[in-house]
Amino acid sequence: MAEEVLLQVKNATKSFGGVKAVVDVSLSLFKGEILGMIGPNGSGKTTLVNLITGFVKPDSGEVLFKDKRITGLQPHKIANLGITRTFQIMRPYHSLSAFKNLIVPLYSPRVRRSTGGRLGDRDAVAIDILEEIGFERDAYVPYKIASSLPLGYLKRLELARCIAMRPEIIICDEIFSGLSMAEIATMVPLLEKLQMQGTTIMMIEHRLRELFRLVNRVIVLNFGEKLAEGIPEEVIEKPDVREAYLGTEVDNVRD
Amino acid sequence: MGILIYGIINSIVFALIAMGFALVYGISRLPNFAHGAFYILAGFLTYTFLLGLGLNSPTSIILSLIIIAGIGAAVYRFLLIRIRGMEASEIIASLAIGLAIMEGLRFAGFRGKTYTLPVFLEGTVRIAGVPVDFQRLIIIGVGVVLIVVLWLFTHHTKVGLALRAMAQDEGAALMLGIDTDFAALIALALGSVLAGLAAIVILPLGNITVETGYDILINAIAVCIIGGLGSWVGAVIASFILGFAQMLTVYIVGAQWQMVVGLLAIILILIARPSGLLARQKELEERV
Repeated sequence: MAEEVLLQVKNATKSFGGVKAVVDVSLSLFKGEILGMIGPNGSGKTTLVNLITGFVKPDSGEVLFKDKRITGLQPHKIANLGITRTFQIMRPYHSLSAFKNLIVPLYSPRVRRSTGGRLGDRDAVAIDILEEIGFERDAYVPYKIASSLPLGYLKRLELARCIAMRPEIIICDEIFSGLSMAEIATMVPLLEKLQMQGTTIMMIEHRLRELFRLVNRVIVLNFGEKLAEGIPEEVIEKPDVREAYLGTEVDNVRD
Repeated sequence: MGILIYGIINSIVFALIAMGFALVYGISRLPNFAHGAFYILAGFLTYTFLLGLGLNSPTSIILSLIIIAGIGAAVYRFLLIRIRGMEASEIIASLAIGLAIMEGLRFAGFRGKTYTLPVFLEGTVRIAGVPVDFQRLIIIGVGVVLIVVLWLFTHHTKVGLALRAMAQDEGAALMLGIDTDFAALIALALGSVLAGLAAIVILPLGNITVETGYDILINAIAVCIIGGLGSWVGAVIASFILGFAQMLTVYIVGAQWQMVVGLLAIILILIARPSGLLARQKELEERV
């Protein structure tokens, strides 16, 4: 893997009132990798994602995308630069059918620019994207109203909306949570395929066993600070990481 | 027969009045309490251009609508944008702007009953034996066309779809690359134009007074609350309910009670069905 830094967070700090959500965190995301971000609840993972995607402005520190400062840009501008994310709590457009959910990203300035306005029939494009990620066209799943879809499909719909943006970076916020082993097993190849196609992925996840099979590197946050960084097998052996996870989950991971 | 025909006309007047308020709320979730002020300001602007400066009607109307759109956009850009999402502040700030505009007009000398816009066309026709003047026919025409065009726009164009999607979840829309502030700005400009259009077609029926602005605001809110906030179809249905209820009140009880209808209807609907006629579940589907 070419070690080209795509995204860089430099000494980011963010407090909410007296609570320090993220403290002096720095990290690099290399082009083409899958980076895992783990840590106990409340360790600042989602806040860090919000800092990167512009939903929250850092108190200090900066975020660089392709060596350009994106700190403080509005979320839609960052999205149009090519950094997109899924939400921890799924936020589909409930009243629209699954494929219509993709109309919004397909009309984003980014997609318009990258296709030179010649995307053609957007409904067809939307349905193709959904079929790619496992919405069975024969069973008319892409045409179903979003609110009627089961959880596994909704998670994939979140991902599909990101894919429709043609992003360079996708940040998945707990995309495995609430899914069965079988459902995760269908998601994993999708993410691997995205990586093969050149998309850089950052994953926040509590399902460590599944995560560690997928990621190239992992970062551990605890109380808003970066506790460890490295390849999964090494990181998980560190005593302070084991302590942060109280041992139990770590034992599960090692089988 | 007279009640039926004038009931329909009155209902469309309600729909015209409420349309701008409903559109702004449906897209940006902003309750624009300056709506009545925009309405009355558009009336006075048109009056000034038409009768004060002696411009012709199309020029006066277009100028008024452009100015009112600019004011709507400016109110969002310089004020409401800072308090997005804080509902109480949104109401207080927009109401304050409305009061400032209306009392400013009063201060500027627009008092009494001397101000009125000319009708577009003189004359009347008989419909089923009931005399109806051309101005009221124009109101019906403009109202129906706007209802249909806006419904088609929000339900069957991609831009409309994006705007409705934004109303459902602004955060998600942002993440998908939509500039929600710009969309809200457009919504407010459009809503102000709708208020102005309503004023220009309705006001020739009576006098332009500052007080009308307050009535307009109350009626617009009544329609939207009864129909279910953010529900387009609900607003149209509510317009007809209020339109006929008010017409019957005037006939049976007396004209001085007509403003009570809207307020009473708000109270009744909040007791019986707080989410409005089209209930929550439905509301999600029908949001503008």
